[in-house]
Amino acid sequence: MNGGTDDPHWVRSTVDRFERPLLLYALKIVGGDVERARDVVQETFARLCDQPPANVNGHLGPWLYTVCRNAALDVRRKARREMALAETADETIESATPSPAVVAETNDATSHVLKMLARLPANQQEAIRLKFQHQMSYRDISRITGHSETNVGFLIHRGIKSIREMLS
Amino acid sequence: MKSDDEMKLTAYALDELSASERAAAEARVRNDAAARAEVEKIRDVAKLLSSELAAEPAPVVKPIEMPQQRRRRLRWGGRLAIAAAVSVVVGGIAFSVLAPSLNRAREASIRAQDASNLRQMEQPQLLSSNDNRGTYPRTATPPQSQERQVNSQPTPMASAVDGKGVNDAEGSKAGDQSEALNALPTPALPLLKSTGGYAVLTAPSSNAEKDTFGRDTNAQINRNNFTSRLRYSYQNPYEGTAAVGSGFELNQSPRSEFAVTDDVNQAKHNTEAYDRVVDNAFLDVMQNPLSTFSIDVDTASYANVRRFLSSGQRPPKDAVRIEEMVNYFPYDYAPPAKSDERPFATHVEIADCPWQPEHRLVRVGIKGKEIAADKRPASNLVFLLDVSGSMQPENRLPMVKRSMRLLLDQLNAEDRVAIVVYAGTSGLVLPSTACSEGAKDQIRNAIETLSAGGSTNGEQGIQLAYSVAKQNFVQGGTNRVILCTDGDFNVGVTNQGDLTRIIEEKAKAGVFLSVLGYGMGNLKDSTMEKLADKGNGNYAYIDTLNEAKKVLVEQMSGTLVTIAKDVKIQIEFNPAVVESYRLIGYENRLLAKEDFNDDKKDAGEIGAGHSVTALYEVTPVGKQPDTKPAVDSLKYQKPASAATTGRGGDDSGEMLTLKLRYKQPDGDTSALIETPVKDTGGTFAKSSRDFKFASSVAAFGMILRDSPHKGRATYPAVQEWAEDGVGEDKGGYRQEFLELVKSAKKTAGQ
Repeated sequence: MNGGTDDPHWVRSTVDRFERPLLLYALKIVGGDVERARDVVQETFARLCDQPPANVNGHLGPWLYTVCRNAALDVRRKARREMALAETADETIESATPSPAVVAETNDATSHVLKMLARLPANQQEAIRLKFQHQMSYRDISRITGHSETNVGFLIHRGIKSIREMLS
Repeated sequence: MKSDDEMKLTAYALDELSASERAAAEARVRNDAAARAEVEKIRDVAKLLSSELAAEPAPVVKPIEMPQQRRRRLRWGGRLAIAAAVSVVVGGIAFSVLAPSLNRAREASIRAQDASNLRQMEQPQLLSSNDNRGTYPRTATPPQSQERQVNSQPTPMASAVDGKGVNDAEGSKAGDQSEALNALPTPALPLLKSTGGYAVLTAPSSNAEKDTFGRDTNAQINRNNFTSRLRYSYQNPYEGTAAVGSGFELNQSPRSEFAVTDDVNQAKHNTEAYDRVVDNAFLDVMQNPLSTFSIDVDTASYANVRRFLSSGQRPPKDAVRIEEMVNYFPYDYAPPAKSDERPFATHVEIADCPWQPEHRLVRVGIKGKEIAADKRPASNLVFLLDVSGSMQPENRLPMVKRSMRLLLDQLNAEDRVAIVVYAGTSGLVLPSTACSEGAKDQIRNAIETLSAGGSTNGEQGIQLAYSVAKQNFVQGGTNRVILCTDGDFNVGVTNQGDLTRIIEEKAKAGVFLSVLGYGMGNLKDSTMEKLADKGNGNYAYIDTLNEAKKVLVEQMSGTLVTIAKDVKIQIEFNPAVVESYRLIGYENRLLAKEDFNDDKKDAGEIGAGHSVTALYEVTPVGKQPDTKPAVDSLKYQKPASAATTGRGGDDSGEMLTLKLRYKQPDGDTSALIETPVKDTGGTFAKSSRDFKFASSVAAFGMILRDSPHKGRATYPAVQEWAEDGVGEDKGGYRQEFLELVKSAKKTAGQ
């Protein structure tokens, strides 16, 4: 054994609890590819298993998001390289439009304010999502993203301000 | 408004300011209508964002359900695995990362944690010869490659071994197997094209693309993995809407502090896991004649330490809070006489210190007034249950239900019970109902129908629970919200700060709070403890049904009926007798000496029949403690050297005076109890069983914490002292402690 926990419920409940939010988070970073996002989340849990529980106790959430973020960034970088290689082959398939039904559904499901959110700079979007979708504190967001706490405060402040302007 | 000010205001609106900054911002908001309006607007947007983001559609991942008949056939086939789930073996530990709702597969992988299985799984060839009854594939990575794989390869890819080759007998079926897999609406894992063979998780970098059976792995699948995924990628809700965009464009750097392999950061993790506890040091009586602290009846640390030790691990230092361990055990202190108006009795015992025989050990015992079950005042209880998805495991919601049934059996027609649940939405499952025998079935039914699912919004639940409690308020009775959660307390639109404020406010109105932590209770250990603290309540960690019995049946009146609040202890040592002293544990409960008489300072509560124990290690005058830090002698004051008459103090021969302050549960002003104590020279050998047992628990805690003050304490010594102190042991808790000491001894190889 090289660490980890042998409490079966620990891992299972962590997966239960964080799988979906991490998937959502990773999805945003890898650019909407669910397959890749899932790989990233899988990778994140694999790393978790390698940690003695004491290392993550008390800040399991931030830890998972950090690992997930780094893994997602790695995947995205790699995917870009591969995409460049496979460009010609994949282009036609990639550009296939989703069925009208899917488009309609997606448009309905996307709220006004989320569309506004999507217009913000990426780092503001990320900070806002971590704060309001994943209930992370400034401090946690700082740990996850590596931005200073002040910077996180700034990003969120700017983001909210822009959305307020768009709303009015 | 300067932009810095604006940022502060945003941070204030989102409750992200430190206490001092918040005070300044509060003052500003009070005096400045524009700032107030600004804060309101920011909160409105925050609320909007929270609710919209919470409702944002997640990627639709349909559960992979095999057709009924196929499942049956597979079972006949026995060894043919469905390549749908990948269990990863990491350093001998299996777990699964899967499409959500592949719960069955999850269970299978957890079953696979059986150590003997794991050994086999490390050698995949054994899988095929094994009768794989589990029907689920078990895929393994040789542990030695794990490190490299995890660190250097962010995306382990799965390669599938051609099922045909592996299992010729099943070969003819492989065709429709793959058909079924291809027909799945949402490929869960990169095993999309697998023909139903065994999946082996390999590092893509590994050039040895041979499977363990010596054949080439299905290289095509492997190579195509990334590109084919583009084609098979999901129709996710974000796709095709330019307005939403498909993701963030983030900078790779800066890297955050949680780099997994960084030893320095790992050390940081350890200290952050629990609030850091530094052992109290010996204090010189001349400089610190007063020792002041708040009582603590929490016991969660012991249950947590027990969990670590029973799984063969040494608990992290900071998880060991000695006072919570000592206070876990019931002691036979006599309760106050019936005629006594005071809510508790104090008992002090002094003997030599078993781990440092030239020192004296002072045990202060406090025993709350006992209230017989039939004299218990009427209770108005509101269960506030977390029914979010994370509560599903057996040791959570099902355990909560069992606990509630236990408690229900103790209640009578005087008492009322209501049930409020919170998850995505919160609601009243059971309006406040009197627990008459006739109505108990109705309550039991309500408990039975509870099920877990959804995300958590604690705030609404809390509000609702408190308003139900208030509507049914019993004057002079017990009014209590009992929060049962695994600590995953997302508070939705509001935040932690607001939540504690709500709870604090309600506690003032006479509704108290009990927090029962379930499952992996230490995850948000400090949050739970703080909530209970603010809510004038108690916090227990329930990991087994026995623990539920202890908290809710045996100590029910203690858990439910608070007999005194803001209980503080102050001890004045007599410098003529005592050279220096050290309070064992209570590191997080220390108060300034001025706080003792300050009725605005919050402190611990004590329940009916509860006992609280505190231990002091005392160095008598003339016996310099070897652990005392060397301090230069004072230049302007006469040196207070040991064993001189210059120490002052009085010659009463009293060692100390014990002072206690407490308030009635509904009172605002405190009362004082003062007891002078003399050391009559008792020996450890002749001390009471309780004294011996409490000392052994404290010594055990010191060993686990590797305290600089542990002296001669060793596991065998602890075991010996504890065995002497077991006594009658109602409930078997002390016996269980002995088992723990033995297993710690074994773990340490002693």
